[in-house]
Amino acid sequence: MPKDNELTLLSDDEIVNFITKGYHIIEPFLPKKFHTEIYKKLESLPTNPGDRIYKVVPDLQKIYSNNAVIRVLTSLLGNKYSEASHKHCHKNHPGTRSQMWHQDSLNIPALLDGNNRFPDHIKSVLVMYYPQDVESNMGPTALIPGSHLFKSAPDRNASHGNFRDQVIATLKAGSLLVLHFDIWHAGTANTSNKIRYMIKYLFERKHESKKPSWNHNSSENQRILERLEKDEAAAIQRSLIPKRNYLRMKMWNNIAGDAALKYEYHDKWAGAWPKPNNILL
Amino acid sequence: MTLKQRILYLSAQSTDPRSPTISQAIHEPIKDSIVEIDPTITDIDYKSVHEAVIDGWKIVHFPDQRGSLSDTEIEVLGFQFILEKIEEFNA
Repeated sequence: MPKDNELTLLSDDEIVNFITKGYHIIEPFLPKKFHTEIYKKLESLPTNPGDRIYKVVPDLQKIYSNNAVIRVLTSLLGNKYSEASHKHCHKNHPGTRSQMWHQDSLNIPALLDGNNRFPDHIKSVLVMYYPQDVESNMGPTALIPGSHLFKSAPDRNASHGNFRDQVIATLKAGSLLVLHFDIWHAGTANTSNKIRYMIKYLFERKHESKKPSWNHNSSENQRILERLEKDEAAAIQRSLIPKRNYLRMKMWNNIAGDAALKYEYHDKWAGAWPKPNNILL
Repeated sequence: MTLKQRILYLSAQSTDPRSPTISQAIHEPIKDSIVEIDPTITDIDYKSVHEAVIDGWKIVHFPDQRGSLSDTEIEVLGFQFILEKIEEFNA
């Protein structure tokens, strides 16, 4: 693994974005031809290789070991992280229907922590790689920003359908979608005439961080704290907002080591009076 | 033509039917019709349950004020209203 100073690590704002939304997109960093060759290789596979996908498509290593990925994983998971044995190649045929909103299963023995959700930490991330462009009709991955902070029961959420603030991951070939392991997501319907592949790897934190593993600037702490408190992800009920904010702050503090934020009272209300309500004028 | 029930699930940000909706699913009384996440839509149809009522939908289920999952760590996003419209369909 490269040393820290060889990587352009994520910024404080990018870390806040991940904490609040639960995802980060890595734009393509290899030529399109490279991804086309991977697509062809996937098309030639007679069966699903399961966890062995990395052996039958060895070029995948050139993606997951690229600095463009390492900088994000190091920033999110600390300087020491591991690649889980479990991997999966999703083949989404034309005519495939949408999945239900779900959090990924915890019943994966390869996962370091197989028993609990971690809504206040970044212990593991999903990294989804798309070897072809994904248009909106090709079964893109859908996700609900901020939902990684809440424990879900898919059967109890089955009647939701479309969320107003759902994100549909239409991406260019070679993009990677990095997700907090607990985010609510779903593969959607493929109504095109093209097969959509997605290869999923899991990465796990090995140690608790003693200091931020990203490009941290402590002079920005007050602004970071305000973002964690105020940034919207997706619309939720008001009663969940204190829990949301508590978990956001705890997640930051759990990954920041000695750069934990301290909540201190500050007067948010001083300043201009509210403007008159035009309805009453 | 036969009268049949269309069913609309709307989840709102509060138990107030005028609060903003956060999710929507419509079940049509048509064999093999599908309800699923639609990656091609840009927005959901109704900004509030009240807006759906104005459009002719009738509320048949109001959300539980106590929160049916308040004793667990499981979260359900929003407060779900179920609405219906009775309309004519080919049998």
